[in-house]
Amino acid sequence: MRFPTLPIWSAKKRSVASVPKDKNKDRSQVRVGIPKVLNIWTTHQFWVGFLKSIGIESENIVFSSDTSEEQGREFGKGRGTVDCCYPVKAISGHYGELVFGQKKKINILLSPMIHSLPSVLHGHVVDTVTCTRVMAGPENIKAGFLKERDVFGEAGITYASPFVSLGDRHMVTEQLHTSLKDVFNLELEETERAVKAGFEALDSFTEKARKQSRDILTWCAKNQKPCILVLARPYHMDTGIGHEIEGDLQAHGYPILWLQYLPGDEDLMNWLFEADMQMGRIKSPFDISDVWMSSYSSNTNEIMWGAKVAARCPWITCVVRLSSYECGMDQPTYTPTQKIVEATGTLFFKFGDLDSTKPAGGIKIRIETIVHYLAKYSQKIMQQKLEWLSPNCPLGPLPAFAPPDAVQEGPAVAQQVHSSPS
Amino acid sequence: MAQAAQLPIITHYTAYKPRPFTREQRDETTILYGGLTWKHERMMQGALHNLKYKAEPLPNIAREDLDAGKELIDVGACCPTIFTTGSLVNFLKKEVNEHGKDKVNSKYVFLTAGACGPCRFGQYHESYAMALDGLGLRDFRLFLLAQDELDQGPGNGGGLDINMPMSLGIIWSILCGDLVTDLEYMTRPYEVNPGQTELVLRECVEQMYDRFLHRPDKGKKYGTLAWHLMSSYFTRALRDVRKKWDAIEVDHLRVKAKVKITGEFWLQTHEGEGNYNIKRWLESEESEVIAPPVAVWLHYLMHPTIRKLEHRNAKSKHPKVENLALHALERIYRGTYNRFRKALANLPHELPDQEELKSLAEPFYHFELRGGEGHMLIGKALHSYHHKTAHMICELSPYSCMPNTMSIGSMANVVGKYPDLLYAPIEVKGDAEVHALSRCQMILTEAKKRAQAEFEGVMDKTGLTEKAIRAYEDKHPETRKATYYVPHRAYAGGAANYVAHLAYDKGLARA
Ligand code: SF4
Ligand code: SF4
Repeated sequence: MRFPTLPIWSAKKRSVASVPKDKNKDRSQVRVGIPKVLNIWTTHQFWVGFLKSIGIESENIVFSSDTSEEQGREFGKGRGTVDCCYPVKAISGHYGELVFGQKKKINILLSPMIHSLPSVLHGHVVDTVTCTRVMAGPENIKAGFLKERDVFGEAGITYASPFVSLGDRHMVTEQLHTSLKDVFNLELEETERAVKAGFEALDSFTEKARKQSRDILTWCAKNQKPCILVLARPYHMDTGIGHEIEGDLQAHGYPILWLQYLPGDEDLMNWLFEADMQMGRIKSPFDISDVWMSSYSSNTNEIMWGAKVAARCPWITCVVRLSSYECGMDQPTYTPTQKIVEATGTLFFKFGDLDSTKPAGGIKIRIETIVHYLAKYSQKIMQQKLEWLSPNCPLGPLPAFAPPDAVQEGPAVAQQVHSSPS
Repeated sequence: MAQAAQLPIITHYTAYKPRPFTREQRDETTILYGGLTWKHERMMQGALHNLKYKAEPLPNIAREDLDAGKELIDVGACCPTIFTTGSLVNFLKKEVNEHGKDKVNSKYVFLTAGACGPCRFGQYHESYAMALDGLGLRDFRLFLLAQDELDQGPGNGGGLDINMPMSLGIIWSILCGDLVTDLEYMTRPYEVNPGQTELVLRECVEQMYDRFLHRPDKGKKYGTLAWHLMSSYFTRALRDVRKKWDAIEVDHLRVKAKVKITGEFWLQTHEGEGNYNIKRWLESEESEVIAPPVAVWLHYLMHPTIRKLEHRNAKSKHPKVENLALHALERIYRGTYNRFRKALANLPHELPDQEELKSLAEPFYHFELRGGEGHMLIGKALHSYHHKTAHMICELSPYSCMPNTMSIGSMANVVGKYPDLLYAPIEVKGDAEVHALSRCQMILTEAKKRAQAEFEGVMDKTGLTEKAIRAYEDKHPETRKATYYVPHRAYAGGAANYVAHLAYDKGLARA
C-alpha cells in the first residue's frame, strides 16, 4: 500500500492569488523575491530575463541584500535546521529578509534548486552539476520556515522552488513549466520564450564580463603589469561571504580577475595551452583531465581550470583562493590547486575557513604580505612565464619590461569584474 | 593557430594516473578492496577467486585509520573519506615495512567504487591518490569501478577485465551479503544460546564463499546474465543457509525496540569502529537493528525515474525501447531479490518500492537531488513510520557530509509534521563516541518505552499470558526456531507481532 503524499506541506503547488487567471495574464503587479545566494550569483541574469519575459516588471523583481550577520540575526534567527557551511546556513537570513523585511510585500519567493550550470568547460568535462548543498539548499532552508507553521502561507507568499538544470538547456523549458505553471499561470509556449530570453540575457552578460576581463589582461600585457586571479566559488563575490578580500587587494592597485569571468577566447587559450597540446597532455585548453579526474562538479571544475590558466598566464602573478568554513567540495581541491599554481612560480595565497565574521586584523596582515610579495616577484614571474610561451601573444605587442623599482600605477581600465545582482 | 616552434617543456602538476595492470601480471597481483561488511567482502572474494583473480579485502576499519587518513589528506574531509583512506594507508604502510615499496607496487592493486557524481563519493580516489603521494607510492595502482555499467571492458592494460561475470559476481555477492546480514540482525537479539548466531553465520558465509568460488563459467556476455537470472544455483545455496539457520533457537517474546538504521551509504553499511560499532551497541541496549541493505542503493541507482536525469545528455536512437528495457531490468532486479528472500523463508525484509519512497519524500526533498542517499533518507524514515516497521530511526550522518546535512535539515520539517516519529540523527566524527551514543540513548529510551507499551497492549488485547504462549511453544517447537516466520501485523516490535500472530493466526486468543 502506498501512502498519499502531502503537497500542502511542500508549499510548492499553491497558485498565487495575485497572478491573474484570465487570458491577458497581466503580471505587472506581481512581485517576485529571489534570495541572492549560492549560484544565483552567476545565473541571476537568467532569472531576470525569464521573469521579465513573462511580464514581471523590473522593479518587481527583488533580490535580497548581500549576506550579513545583521541579516542573519534579524531575519534568520531560529530558522536554521542544521550546521553546515556558511553560504548555505546564511540562506535563512535571505529568505527571512524577503518574507519579513520588505516594505512592499512580495507575492512569490523564487528559490531555484539549481542542479547543473552553464560552464565554459561544458563538453570538455564529465558533467557540470552543482554541489549537493547548492542544489538541495532550498529544501533544507525551507524546512526552517515550515517546521512549526507555514510562514510563507501566513505572509501570503507562494514559495516556488523549481528544480532546474541550467547546464542542460534542452531540459529547462520542461522543468520550469512543470514546476512554475501553477505559480505563474504559465503556458508552455510562453515558458519556452521566457527560457530563451533568460539565456540570452545570461549569455550577453557573461560575454560582457569576459570581455572586461580580457580588457584587463590586455592592459596588463600592454603595460607589463601584474594582476590577481580570485579562485573561489561564485558566491564569494557576496561581501558577507568573501568578505571583500579582493577589494582590499584592488585598493593597492592590482587589477582583479574573477575565475567565473576569465576570458575563454580561443586565441588566448590556444596561446596559453599550446605547449600542453603539443605534448598531448590535453585535447583542448578546456580539458582538465590532466589535473582532475572527477570532473563532475561545475564550480570545482572551473576552479581547477582557473588554476591552470593562472599557472600559465604571465600577468596573473598571484592567485587568491577563497574557501568557506566546512566546504566539502573545496576540501579535496586544496592541495591540487596550490600545486598547479605554484608549479610555475605563481604566487598562491589561501583564505580558508571563511565564516560569518570577517577576521579583519588577520586579513589586513595577510594583505600586506601578499602586496609585498607581488611587488617583489611579479616582474620575475611574468618574464619567466613569457619565456615559456610562443612570441605570438594575441593580446598585442608586448613592450620590454620596465627596470625594477619602477612605480606601480593602477590601470585606468582595471576594475573588479563583479556580477552583483541588484 | 599559427604553426609554432617546439615550446619548452614545463613540469606542470599532473593528477595521479595508475600505471597499467597487464593481463600477464594478473596471477601475481592481488586486488585489494573494501567498504562493505566482512560478509559481503568474503562472498565477493569468492566471486573474484572464481574468475582467477587474487583478491583480498582490506582489514576492517579501525580507530587508528582515522589518524592515518587525517595525516595525509587535506583537512575537512568527511569521515568516510578519512577512514577509508586511512585504512588503505595503514595496510600499505605495514606491507611496505615488510616487503618494501617496489614489492608493494607490483604485488597489489586497489579497486574502489567511483564515478559517482556530485559529492566526495565521486572523489574518494582523489584522496587516495593524495595519500599515495604522501606515502611515496605513486606507482601503486588504483582503479575505479563505475557503479552503473556491467561491462566496462579490460581497461588500462587488461589485467582487470570488468566484464559481465565480474560485475554480476559482485552484485550477486552484495545481494546475498545483504540477505544474510538481515537474517543475522533479526536473529541475534533473540538467540537463546549466546553466540550461536555468530557461529552459524560464519559457517553460512563460508559456504556461500564456496558457492561463489565454484560458480560455473557461462561465457562473458548474455549467457552468463541469463544463467544468473534463471539458475537455481544461488537459491539452493541460500536454502542451505536457511537449513543451518533452523538450528538457532530464539525467544520471540523478548521485547526489543526496533531501530532502523539509515544515513550515509558507507557509514550505515559499515560494522565497526568507523561508526562506533553502533549496531552492536544498539543490540546491547535491548534493541533489534534493521541493517540497511546495499541492495536498496543499487535499486536507487538503477531505477528508471532516477536514471532519467543521469541520461539527460545521452543521445539514444531508441529512447522508448531503452526505457522499457530499464523498467524490465528494475523488475528483474526486484524479482531476483525476492527469489532469494523466498529461499530464506521470506524472513529478510522486502526492498522498498522506489516510487513510494519518492512520493513520500516529495513534499520535503526533491527526488532528483542527487548526492549521498538523496531523497531516500526522508523516504525511508516515512516509509518505516507509515508501515510501522520500526520504533525509531537512527540516521548516521558523517560530520561535514554535504548531502546528509541537507536531508537532516529537511527532516526538521518532517518531524514538525510527524511529531511522534522518533528520529535520532547521529553525527559521526570518528572520535566522539560518547557524545554520539548518548544522543542516541535519549531517543532509544523513548523507543524502548513504546516497544514495551505496544507489547503490553497486545497482551491485554488478546488476553494471552506468557504461560499460555510458552505452553504453545512447547507443543510447537518450530516456533522457537530462528527461521519461524512471524507475519507483520501492524506493530513495529517483533514480540508484539508474535503475540498477535499466535493469538489470531494460530487461534490462541480463542483458547
Ligand atoms: S560548494 Fe562548499 S560552500 Fe558551496 S554549498 Fe557546497 S559545501 Fe557549501
Ligand atoms: S555522501 Fe557525504 S560522507 Fe559520503 S562521500 Fe559524500 S560527502 Fe562524504
